[in-house]
Amino acid sequence: MKRFSAPRFFRGMNLTAFTMVMIFLYIPILILIIFSFNDAKIITGWKGFTTKYYVQLFNNQNIKDAFWNTMLIAGLSTLISTTLGILTALGLEYKKFSGRKIMQGLIYVPLVIPDILMGVSLALLFNFTRVTTGMFTVLIAHVTFCISYTVIVIQSRLEGFDYSLVEAAQDLGAKPSYIFWKIKFPLMMPGIIAAGLLAFTLSIDDFIITFFTSGRGFDTLPIYVEGTIRRGTITTINSLSTLMIAFTLFLVVITKRVRKIMISAL
Amino acid sequence: MLWLTAFFLVPYLIVVIYSFLSPDIYDVRFEVSLDAYRQIFAGNYLRPFLLSFKLAIYTTLICILLGFPVAYYIARAKEKLRNTLLIFIIIPFWTNLIIRIFSWRIFLAYNGVLNDLLISAGLISTPLEIMRTDLAVILVMVYVYLPYMILPLYSTLEKLDFTLLNAAMDLGANEVKAFFSITLPLAVEGIFAGTLLVFIPSLGAYLIPQLVGNQRSLYVGQVITYKIKNIPRNWPMASALSLTLLLLVAVMLLIMYYLFRKHKARRLQS
Repeated sequence: MKRFSAPRFFRGMNLTAFTMVMIFLYIPILILIIFSFNDAKIITGWKGFTTKYYVQLFNNQNIKDAFWNTMLIAGLSTLISTTLGILTALGLEYKKFSGRKIMQGLIYVPLVIPDILMGVSLALLFNFTRVTTGMFTVLIAHVTFCISYTVIVIQSRLEGFDYSLVEAAQDLGAKPSYIFWKIKFPLMMPGIIAAGLLAFTLSIDDFIITFFTSGRGFDTLPIYVEGTIRRGTITTINSLSTLMIAFTLFLVVITKRVRKIMISAL
Repeated sequence: MLWLTAFFLVPYLIVVIYSFLSPDIYDVRFEVSLDAYRQIFAGNYLRPFLLSFKLAIYTTLICILLGFPVAYYIARAKEKLRNTLLIFIIIPFWTNLIIRIFSWRIFLAYNGVLNDLLISAGLISTPLEIMRTDLAVILVMVYVYLPYMILPLYSTLEKLDFTLLNAAMDLGANEVKAFFSITLPLAVEGIFAGTLLVFIPSLGAYLIPQLVGNQRSLYVGQVITYKIKNIPRNWPMASALSLTLLLLVAVMLLIMYYLFRKHKARRLQS
């Protein structure tokens, strides 16, 4: 059978639209990279090539601290939210118990509410309970917004699960714990990895919820960057941004596997 | 589950309680007051809500208009190419949000790249003031949220059976007619999903208006944040505004759900 070819008018229009959107998506990023080598202290035209802001970047203790804070929070919240995600997804699998629908709803709700509201509500919670804001409160906040995503990603993996494998193992006399670790867990693994990656990216990227739940002296990178932009000292931000973009590209290029998992997760 | 109850539901309860208290410069006083709601009903905060609403509508519409042809193009591309094209859409979306907003500041600034280019091309003589306008806010919002529209659109268009289009055109329908009577109705699910992902977060936008917008036109997200962060604080007001925004979101979700149900029912009928 001959392959359907889109009407010529639409094909032309779509290619144009695609190209334009690509330019739209990438121009700001390209400009950022180019201007990280610009020898100027404020936003302005091209003033000559320099790498001195990269040197400044590596000598800046605040940026280093913010970087490690970000990594620490992202690592811990990925670990906790993925673990809780696995447990919740497995728990929700037993379709019979009452209140299951309410629980499923509770998992979806945070996804359809603007982030800022979660930030506000957590800020007030920490005020009400008189908890000092800092690393601990940021970690709680990050786990809270990651958890819905991890549960849903792992659930979607469990959906297509072939229970005849479990039944076969049972017939052959395998213990439940053996079945879990040898059959179920390995089959869930792609979902778990995808959930973890998603949680990690969400955590690194978050600004608004961190903004409401971090105290003075505990900055993550987005918080630090925003503060710096607001104060108008932008020189190291260009180079920092370029490194962060390079890091993203690096991940994309070297990890073909990760790429596939991310697409299936989306 | 306990986690979500403790850190998702309970905080909202506190927001509700706080919205009925009296403000203090740094904190709240535990005295019941309806002042926050009185101000909202008096319409003192109508403007930020209208602005945010307008922003969300514009952002969503432009994202649909730009996203549709792109999603269509990717869905119609050769299978091997599709994943690569998708990656190109996703990369910016993995890049840190603040960094992307910041790069627009460089691009749009008064002394920025766009103005330099336009002046040296002789198209304008004085720099355009795009930064710090509502136009800049919409532009950057579209930039940030476009992938959220393209991805769900792509996943519905990919499943679309293009032989239907062939059949329609064999039967004499022209391109435009075939598009409106077949492609578009079948893609509505994707448009709904994309709208959900773009419209709702746009209502609560803070960072983009804050970094590229104008301090004279404040959006709801900014007003709420200022009431919480800036001194004198007004946490009851922030709480009441948050709950109003939540209510607005809930109403929007219900409307969308209703429209979606209606659309499905109509499709099943025909």
